Amino acid sequence: MLGTWLRLRKKGVLGLNARNHRYIMQYNQRHSYPLVDDKLKTKTLAIAAGIAVPKLYGAVSTPHDLSRIPEILGKHQEFVIKPAHGSGGEGVLVIDGMRRDLFVKTDGRALALEEIKYHASNILSGIYSLGGIPDKAMIEYRVRCDPALDVISYRGVPDIRVLVFRGVPAMAMIRLPTRNSDGKANLHQGAVGVGIDMATGVTIEGVWQNRAVHEHPDFGVPLAGLQIPQWNYLLELGARCYELTGLGYMGVDIVLDRNQGPLILEINARPGLAIQIANHSGLQERLDKIEALADIPADPKDRVALTLALFGHLSQS
Amino acid sequence: MSSKSTFALSPVAIVVLVFTLLACFIVYLKVTYLHMPLKPGEESDVWMIEARIDFTGRNGPARVNFTLPQETPGFTRLDENFVSRGFGLTFEEGPEYREAVWTLRRSQGEQALFYRAQIFPEAQSFSRPPEEVPTSDFPDVPDYPEPLASAVDDVLSRARSESADIFTFASRLLAILADPSDENVKVIHDARAEDEWVSLVTEIFAGARIPSRAVYGISLNNEFIDRPMITWLEVNNGERWRGFDPDTGATGYPENFYPWVSGVREVVDTDGVRNLNVSFSATRTSVVQEELAQQTESSLNTGLLNFTLYSLPIPMQEVYKVLLMVPLGALVIAFMRVVVGVPTFGTFTPILIALAFRETQLGWGITLFMMILSAGFLVRIALANLHLLLVPRLASMLIVVIGLMTIMSLLSARLGFTQGLSIALFPMVILTMTIERMSIVWEERGGVETIKETLGSLLVAISGYYVMNNPYLMHLMFNFPELLLIVLSVCLLFGTYTGYRISEVLRFKDLARGKP
Repeated sequence: MLGTWLRLRKKGVLGLNARNHRYIMQYNQRHSYPLVDDKLKTKTLAIAAGIAVPKLYGAVSTPHDLSRIPEILGKHQEFVIKPAHGSGGEGVLVIDGMRRDLFVKTDGRALALEEIKYHASNILSGIYSLGGIPDKAMIEYRVRCDPALDVISYRGVPDIRVLVFRGVPAMAMIRLPTRNSDGKANLHQGAVGVGIDMATGVTIEGVWQNRAVHEHPDFGVPLAGLQIPQWNYLLELGARCYELTGLGYMGVDIVLDRNQGPLILEINARPGLAIQIANHSGLQERLDKIEALADIPADPKDRVALTLALFGHLSQS
Repeated sequence: MSSKSTFALSPVAIVVLVFTLLACFIVYLKVTYLHMPLKPGEESDVWMIEARIDFTGRNGPARVNFTLPQETPGFTRLDENFVSRGFGLTFEEGPEYREAVWTLRRSQGEQALFYRAQIFPEAQSFSRPPEEVPTSDFPDVPDYPEPLASAVDDVLSRARSESADIFTFASRLLAILADPSDENVKVIHDARAEDEWVSLVTEIFAGARIPSRAVYGISLNNEFIDRPMITWLEVNNGERWRGFDPDTGATGYPENFYPWVSGVREVVDTDGVRNLNVSFSATRTSVVQEELAQQTESSLNTGLLNFTLYSLPIPMQEVYKVLLMVPLGALVIAFMRVVVGVPTFGTFTPILIALAFRETQLGWGITLFMMILSAGFLVRIALANLHLLLVPRLASMLIVVIGLMTIMSLLSARLGFTQGLSIALFPMVILTMTIERMSIVWEERGGVETIKETLGSLLVAISGYYVMNNPYLMHLMFNFPELLLIVLSVCLLFGTYTGYRISEVLRFKDLARGKP
């Protein structure tokens, strides 16, 4: 136990207490939280800043608005309903298509409009939001997985988590939905996390349920050696969120749409630490390097260049 | 991780230091001055002294003045009471004395009056604090008739020649007077045969212009019944009083001497009575120290214990006995979450459950808690199919939980399990929210996570129960509420802890293994 403890320290693995105390409390201003906790606000801000996000069809904020859902959906046969204050992919309902007047979920189950409305009303009552406060339901564009990643994701869309510290991308991983995770890209729910080499955007190796894995648990395809498309642009997107939110320490979740390319899905002001397991590497060294920088370049492109220079060699195993 | 220490030295460290020192200081004061015990159930000796005044009435008005013991350093009078039949009781108080005055218009036959006092001796041996007697108050040389005058002169000059200072002089003089074969001593004895020896001795000391006085007291050495008071002599050298055995001249006081009255006052002064007899009894009892400290405070009024919880009404005290344990429970939570990393439902839920365990006993508490939780959980799953809105659903769950509690209480009453009745003590709102949270975790994260969080909550609740039910800690928190400062300090320190949680060491253990 103590030996493991000391080895973890030596390897620079960041713990939750240290993350909260040294980074979240020091670098994240409290007033910035609502910007990212409310995904509707994040989306509005991002659109204003010209950052690519999945298109918003509409939002429901009162029980009265529930009857407006058919109107919002219009002709869209594919869409996502999610809580504006949700976390960890909870309460996200993905509709893949229509079968007569029923809505088909990604797992093939069909739902009536009433059930869609019930889900939305659950979201409104705050069941998925932190602290149970009343929430808003967002209905938005359903992202179609990039073909390059199709081979390694089960039903859902993989998302790429980029950890951005002081505007400089420090570490990244891609989260792959599995049968276990019910198509959700959440590690707690059984998704696979795969570390990414910061310099090249090539996947390293995976972690599934806190254990290292080399092959996808559902498909058996190797997880390492996969090139993430548009890697540098993706990092730049992550870096630009620093100006957007002002958060010094955040996790930016990016999805790769087959038509629209990288889109910002959400921003997390308290990003988890599993990214270290996926990359088989501690965060501390990278954060220390960024913290040691006297000034940070104002241009996100320069910050991405900084990332490539600083952490290119670190991810090689 | 940098090489900085895990606890950053910061304003927090200073606050912690100040709080801890302050709390320790108050505890130290309470322990040394009020004898507040650090362990529960510690006992001390307290003496119950009873003075009994017997006399026979003369069929007329009777008055008995009884000198009460004065405040004496080293002794604390915890309580006193007076027993008499039909007598009126008044008190007279002067700068140097305190008297009880019993009066009766018509007393006849044999009568008895009682005075009882509870005395707590703090010091092992008695000594007077320095008390200067100004030269103007030194006694004048009395006018003795012959042959007494020359006998006294002779004795005094002999003692003077054989001594160095006032105390050795006193000791020498008393030793000379103790020798019955001495001619001069014989003369002195014969001259005042009817007087008390001590008053004669003080007169002789007056012949040398040395202040001296008789002291009456009792010896709290062993228990005794019906003894007269011990008569002792005190001599002042201008700076302090010192005790002497009037019969031998030995310095000091009898063992465990408790002085009742000093000076020229008599212990009892009466009018209209005969066959007067005053006797003392003493018994030793053991008193729990907490009570003693409380009584000490009420008689000393130091202000140190102004913050004592004993000054609250009893029902309120009971409330605070529990309330003061909650911070320790919160500390357990902080420790379990920040240092160990146990997953729990809600932040303070486990502590509220632990408080309920206090009342129900641990085994029964866990059984009942699990029963309610599983029954409620089943109902909650059934409710999920009804597609209810959140608040009405929570309200329904609350009603179901209370219904379940009622049924369980009734069932256990019918079956004769009295412990089952205590289920009513569980905080039902907390139970409801726990069930709700449990079912959400179940739906979203699956059974493993639910069981993990349930067991985590139970583990924290049980640890909290053991901490909050520890008699030693309960004693400390109730008697030394200032320890809250220390609890707060530890909490603040937890707030600055940036090391790993134990659960994280397990979670990241693959990372510690080196490159694959």
